[in-house]
Amino acid sequence: MGIVEVQGLRKQYDPPKGVLAVDDVSFAIGRGEIFSLLGPNGAGKSTTISMLSCLLRPSGGDATVDGHSVVSDPQAVKSVIGVVPQDVAVYPDMTARENLVFWGRMYGIPGDELRHRVDEVLELISLVDRQNDRVDKFSGGMKRRVNIGVALLHKPKVLYLDEPTVGIDPQSRRSILDGILALRDQGMTVLYTTHYMAEAQELSDRIGIVDQGKMIALGTHAELVKIVGEEARVDVTVDKALEGMVERWARLHGVSRASVEEDHAELLAEDANEVLPRLFEEAAAGGSRITTVNVTEPNLELVFLHLTGRALRE
Amino acid sequence: MNRVWTLARKDLLETRRDRLSAIFIVIMPIAFTTFFGLMLGGGSDRLPLALRDADGGAQAERLVAALERSDAVRVVRKSAADFEPWMADGRAAAGLLIPEGFSQAVEAGEPAQLTVVSDPASSGAQAAAAEIRAAAGRLVAADRAAVVGAEAAQAAQGDQGADQGGQGAGQTEVPAMAQAIATQAMEEPAVSLKTVQAGAAAGQIPTGFVLSSPGMMVNFIMFSLLTAGMALIMERRYGTLRRLMTTRVRRSELIAGKMAGMFALTFLQQVLLIAVGQLFFGVDYLNDPAALLLMMIALSLVASSLGLLLASVLTSEQAMVAAVVIVSMSVSALSGAWFPLEITGPGFQFVGHLLPTAWILDGLRGIIVQGYGVEDVLPAFAVALAWSAGLFGAAVARFRLS
Amino acid sequence: MTKIWAIAWKDLRSTMRNVPALAMMLLAPLALAGLLGFAFGGGDTFQIAATKVALASTDERPAAAAGEAAPPLAGDTFAGILTSESLKDVLDVTEVADAAEARGKVDDGDAAVAVIVPRDFTSALYGAAGAKTAVELYVNPTQEFGTAIAESVVTQALLDFNGARAAAAVATAMAGGGGVHDAAAQAAAARFVRDGGASQGLVLTDREPLVTGEDEGDKVAPVGLILAGMMVFFMFFGASNVARTILTEDAAGTLPRMLTTPTSTGTILGGKFSSVFLTVTVQTVVLLVAGRILFGIDWGSLDAVTLLTLVGAAVASGLALLIIAVVRTPGQAGAIGAGVYLVLALLGGNFTGTASTSGVYATVQKLTPNGWLLLGWDVAMHGGDLADVASKLVVPLVFAVVFFAVAVLRFRRRYA
Repeated sequence: MGIVEVQGLRKQYDPPKGVLAVDDVSFAIGRGEIFSLLGPNGAGKSTTISMLSCLLRPSGGDATVDGHSVVSDPQAVKSVIGVVPQDVAVYPDMTARENLVFWGRMYGIPGDELRHRVDEVLELISLVDRQNDRVDKFSGGMKRRVNIGVALLHKPKVLYLDEPTVGIDPQSRRSILDGILALRDQGMTVLYTTHYMAEAQELSDRIGIVDQGKMIALGTHAELVKIVGEEARVDVTVDKALEGMVERWARLHGVSRASVEEDHAELLAEDANEVLPRLFEEAAAGGSRITTVNVTEPNLELVFLHLTGRALRE
Repeated sequence: MNRVWTLARKDLLETRRDRLSAIFIVIMPIAFTTFFGLMLGGGSDRLPLALRDADGGAQAERLVAALERSDAVRVVRKSAADFEPWMADGRAAAGLLIPEGFSQAVEAGEPAQLTVVSDPASSGAQAAAAEIRAAAGRLVAADRAAVVGAEAAQAAQGDQGADQGGQGAGQTEVPAMAQAIATQAMEEPAVSLKTVQAGAAAGQIPTGFVLSSPGMMVNFIMFSLLTAGMALIMERRYGTLRRLMTTRVRRSELIAGKMAGMFALTFLQQVLLIAVGQLFFGVDYLNDPAALLLMMIALSLVASSLGLLLASVLTSEQAMVAAVVIVSMSVSALSGAWFPLEITGPGFQFVGHLLPTAWILDGLRGIIVQGYGVEDVLPAFAVALAWSAGLFGAAVARFRLS
Repeated sequence: MTKIWAIAWKDLRSTMRNVPALAMMLLAPLALAGLLGFAFGGGDTFQIAATKVALASTDERPAAAAGEAAPPLAGDTFAGILTSESLKDVLDVTEVADAAEARGKVDDGDAAVAVIVPRDFTSALYGAAGAKTAVELYVNPTQEFGTAIAESVVTQALLDFNGARAAAAVATAMAGGGGVHDAAAQAAAARFVRDGGASQGLVLTDREPLVTGEDEGDKVAPVGLILAGMMVFFMFFGASNVARTILTEDAAGTLPRMLTTPTSTGTILGGKFSSVFLTVTVQTVVLLVAGRILFGIDWGSLDAVTLLTLVGAAVASGLALLIIAVVRTPGQAGAIGAGVYLVLALLGGNFTGTASTSGVYATVQKLTPNGWLLLGWDVAMHGGDLADVASKLVVPLVFAVVFFAVAVLRFRRRYA
């Protein structure tokens, strides 16, 4: 039994004819696992996480966090979750420390313990020497660290992160991702929403792919990729005689499929690196020159494309 | 020029779309003015005069009767217990306390006491108090004249010879005839007072409302800088202002467009308030439409250039609210919108008349009550124009896009 | 309870760091009170600048009857009275050549009143009984005070002349026939004036209305009531600044974030309500202390002041929260709030004190909670005791309760 169990969660705004933002979503998150909800904008990720944060009442279904139902026992749920919203939600005219103290109180952490805990969190987010500076003077990255720190004060069992790396520089993004991994290593369970495939791939133990309110695929990275097979895609352009080349390549061993797409050839091969030299040989033999080669290893974007016919990044 | 107009229209449209605020800008001043007009615009009623007669004697009765005959005051008799609370509550314009012994003193020819209770800050109170003094003065003067006249007559007769006999010296009783003649002479005096109001529009009797209507309008117009300027601040916040500058709009056009929008808004408000005042409360703004138009333009120019300056310089809505409230209140007070400047000290009046709004208010009141024409309001218009130019210049210099 | 306090303290601290808010809450009322105090000359008494008068005497000496000396020019005497030293602070008189010039000065705004002594002034006074004339007062109708004052002075002066005339008439009538009556008349008139004129028989005491608790002779500086009015007005703004954070925090995400902590909606709203109340109370205390230090205002007994402070804070908080509960955006809250506060202040007499021209205004004032608060402060400053003050606070307290109740109901629906 996972620490988070989601059963048939639904949310419809303005029933009976309104938008069905989340449609019968079910999944479970194991203790100490990093779980990503991956999907394009508008897929229903934020709505799902809002329901799991007890901010929105589900229209149907239920979810439990550490055994407590979000529908019937929201206060207990809130005690064990830490929510990091997508937009920085801390008080800009207060210092980092003042923010942590205030939010600690909102989490009901008593006096002495609070002081201690605030010191610990400041260490964790590496803001000990800036703790008495106002947040509105911080860089974007520092603000985000405070934003995350607030959610860690009460030592939650599950941490929710809603698109934490949207619009931030690579350096800060790297440190946030590293931080999440570190937390997981310490036993934290993490629920993570994103539309960045690379992050989901790197961080998650398991991934749920959502689109238009539905969960369309669920599993580890390897399991998901299997949906589109293990083949890589090779896109090739030549200087002439494209169709002829495509026919020749299609007959090569290791090439499972070859087609003409607009101005280039699209091949599927089990081992791209093994097949590439033979493509070049064949091209030379056929009197054409290869001008560009693009290899795409099997990934979640392909999975998404395969399942929905649309690109993950709209 | 086209672009300026487009910009202005957009602002007005946005304002209109914010239904709640729009209703507020328009309805509120009208509702308030209407309410106030109904309350105060009762025409020249007789001022209520609280009266406590602790004496009850003949002379006191005469005084009360004289006051009751007056058409300046309306006597309301009050008991000892009620008198002070009534006065403290402001239910009477002024009060008169006739102490015990009043009649006796008057008849004995000794100084008689009276206490007049009034609020020195109220012109109505002063008018009522003046009426009391006049009535009491006439009464006592008549008695005095009777005594003096009778004794002088006696003395003259005494001079002529003691053979007149009959009345001896030291007679203290004043014959009824003397009293009658003296009273008659005071009631219909040789020299009376005739008050004539200046201005061609002498038909209008300025009630409290008539005089305060233009002041309230100025107050509301200044306050509405808030909504006008707020939009600009929000635009700066959303980044749309900056974006406008990446189009071919020139900075000057942008600023002029903003100002035009504010001008139109405040002008419209004035039209509404003046219409309500004129049509429902007989405030004769339309005595001279040309002069009125000049004053309306002047007020809108001042208000919109001020609003522009504030919005140019300030960055947050909070700062805007604070600035508008403080500025509009100070300006209103200094310009005579809340209370007539004539009751303030010379220093305050001097500072007040540095402000264009004081001039505009004088102009408006002059139009309503004194029949001012275009030539009379031109100085006010000039002052307003100068101020607007200065404010506008400052606004342009300090205008920030983000 | 700790959570409510944590929220309240956070908001108070935030306000203390917010310069525009502080300017509005503290600087503005003090500055405006100072300004208005300056308007009215400060000090204990209410001073008015001397009224500008243009005086034209067209009085002509009547032809002397044969054998008698011509009477002195009464017009000159009259002018002398108006320009006398004792009236210097009341009337600022400029003598001009003729009536047209005098009226012209009023029309031009150089004078508030023109006093025109008619040609037959002396004739009417010294002539045959039944001769009548009038002194003309040509007034600027927008200058009510000046007019009233000038009227009062002229009326008083005329009483003297008419009184002397009356005395002469009595003497003439009673002295019988013969040349004796002229001498008697003159003697009577002279004596009337010598004895002190019309005002001789009358001792008029002027005083202001007594406020509950005041002893006659107590004087409360006008600046006290002015600051009280400003204070109550700016308390509305102090409250609205904090109340508005309910909307701004909603947009910024910190309010929804609070809802993800194990803190109930009731606690959060309770915390916000407490924030508003606490901030306004602190604002009031600061203003009271500042008023004492800067203007020397004696606010009254401690328990009365405490009650007034708390009820005032309740009214301001309730109204601010009600407005927030009704509007949708912070911009609307700012604009609409300001408008509502302005109207209430104008009706309640916050800017103009309790001066009025008729009893109607007193009624209007009592329709507003701030009007009652001002009456309460008036009583407290005049030395009224707790019971007197409390009687003025029943209505505002009811207002506050209603405001809060409606605000709570609407918030419940919105943040269910």
